Amino acid sequence: MRRALLALLALIIAGALAFYLLTMPTVPASALPAHTPDLANGKYMFTVGGCAECHAVPLKKCDDLKTKEKDVLAGGRCLKTPFGVFHVPNISPDKETGIGNWTTVDFVNAMKHGIGPGGEHLYPAFPYSSYQRMTYEDLIDLKAYLDTLPAVKNEVPPHELSFPFNIRRGLGLWQILYVDGKSFTPDAKANAELNRGAYLVMGPGHCAECHSSRNILGGIVQGTAFAGAKNPEGKGTVPNITPSDDGIGDWSEGDIAYLLETGNTPDFDVIGENMGPVQENMAKLTPEDRKAIAAYIKSLPPRPDAVPKSEQKKKEEKTSGSGSDQPGGSEKEPEGSDY
Amino acid sequence: MRKSFIVAFVLLGMGGFATVAISAEDLAAAVKERRHLMKEVVAPAAKLGGQMVKGVKPFDAAAAAKATNEINGVPDKYVKLFPKGTAHGEIADSEAKAKIWEDFSDFEATAMKLKDASAQAAAAAAQGEGAFTAAFNNMTKVCKDCHQTFREKIEEK
Repeated sequence: MRRALLALLALIIAGALAFYLLTMPTVPASALPAHTPDLANGKYMFTVGGCAECHAVPLKKCDDLKTKEKDVLAGGRCLKTPFGVFHVPNISPDKETGIGNWTTVDFVNAMKHGIGPGGEHLYPAFPYSSYQRMTYEDLIDLKAYLDTLPAVKNEVPPHELSFPFNIRRGLGLWQILYVDGKSFTPDAKANAELNRGAYLVMGPGHCAECHSSRNILGGIVQGTAFAGAKNPEGKGTVPNITPSDDGIGDWSEGDIAYLLETGNTPDFDVIGENMGPVQENMAKLTPEDRKAIAAYIKSLPPRPDAVPKSEQKKKEEKTSGSGSDQPGGSEKEPEGSDY
Repeated sequence: MRKSFIVAFVLLGMGGFATVAISAEDLAAAVKERRHLMKEVVAPAAKLGGQMVKGVKPFDAAAAAKATNEINGVPDKYVKLFPKGTAHGEIADSEAKAKIWEDFSDFEATAMKLKDASAQAAAAAAQGEGAFTAAFNNMTKVCKDCHQTFREKIEEK
């Protein structure tokens, strides 16, 4: 009897602990600084953050990379991932189907903790594991800017995820591992430019989300951050952008800034289509910010590729002597055959 | 007489067939030539122009005009190298999206924009570095638009 009671007690304690762990502490309204929203900066953060690329209405099909107007955030895009299909929500200021009822604190909690206003856990397809590094001021500005955009009524279907990913509660555990809501802290040893670049890359720019490999839980593997990944939405790979032989070690800071401005690699190839909309946003930043991003990227630890290159690329590397003849074009496998 | 007539007729028929169907070798040659024009004519010329635009190499009006004129010669040849059967997945090395053949005239018009844009860049070279930079970057936008719409690209480093 006594043992049974003890067991019950242990169970209750474990349950309470699990409940506490699964409902992460969030930011109270009192934590927000007094700050008058700067709409221009809000719009700038909107551009850096690439909000429209996911939340604007896709042009035709739900997985079109192109979107309709960038400031109509009625959602509806579908992201086809190994976990299932995500339907990107409406974040226009519509009160019923959008986020028109969200307060600034609600918004900050979503961005910093991945928690919606009702305490619901948001899926990290919404890259809050990066956005959490944004400053309160930038988030307040961004929220104020979103409030100025057109409200559109559009009910987006629920996500279609496989078990166990369809249990939102489970995300609480994920958030314990990958989310602490801490804003970016500048490195005292680095200069202002590097810190600005790091902030843009790690926070609003969320570059690591695509350029880093993930573990089985879908968390970024820090040891191979920025060293490339499988394309999260299917075909191909996302390149290694660390300054290594596998990555972009032979690119100068100017080369990186120029790519962000124009979409051209140093060898004058054109960037991949997933990077296209990102680069168009980067082109709207100040030249100083592009330079800061480039400086930070150049300062990353050099790493070998985190995912093996495709056979195609290996063969190409063997034969490429800066634009030499491709011997026997038909010897190679068709591109993408291994995906 | 009648027999030889039939033979001639059959031969004629076969000959006709041979001219309609393009051989696999011809298709492969078209793909190879496409890649040659892009990788060995356009890219090196664009790289040279880009180095001047980026300030890696000093601006040289004559070299800038020469490079962009080389690019200018490509589109006319290039758009003729897309016989059916050379889409990505149909033949080795092809990066051409099947979409190209859904509306070929749209693809052709998009690709041919490079002709005007490169001519403008070549003309701008004489007006100095600033004018060339603007026209050159405008030209590479044309490259990007076409690639992002019609090219099945695998990210390279």
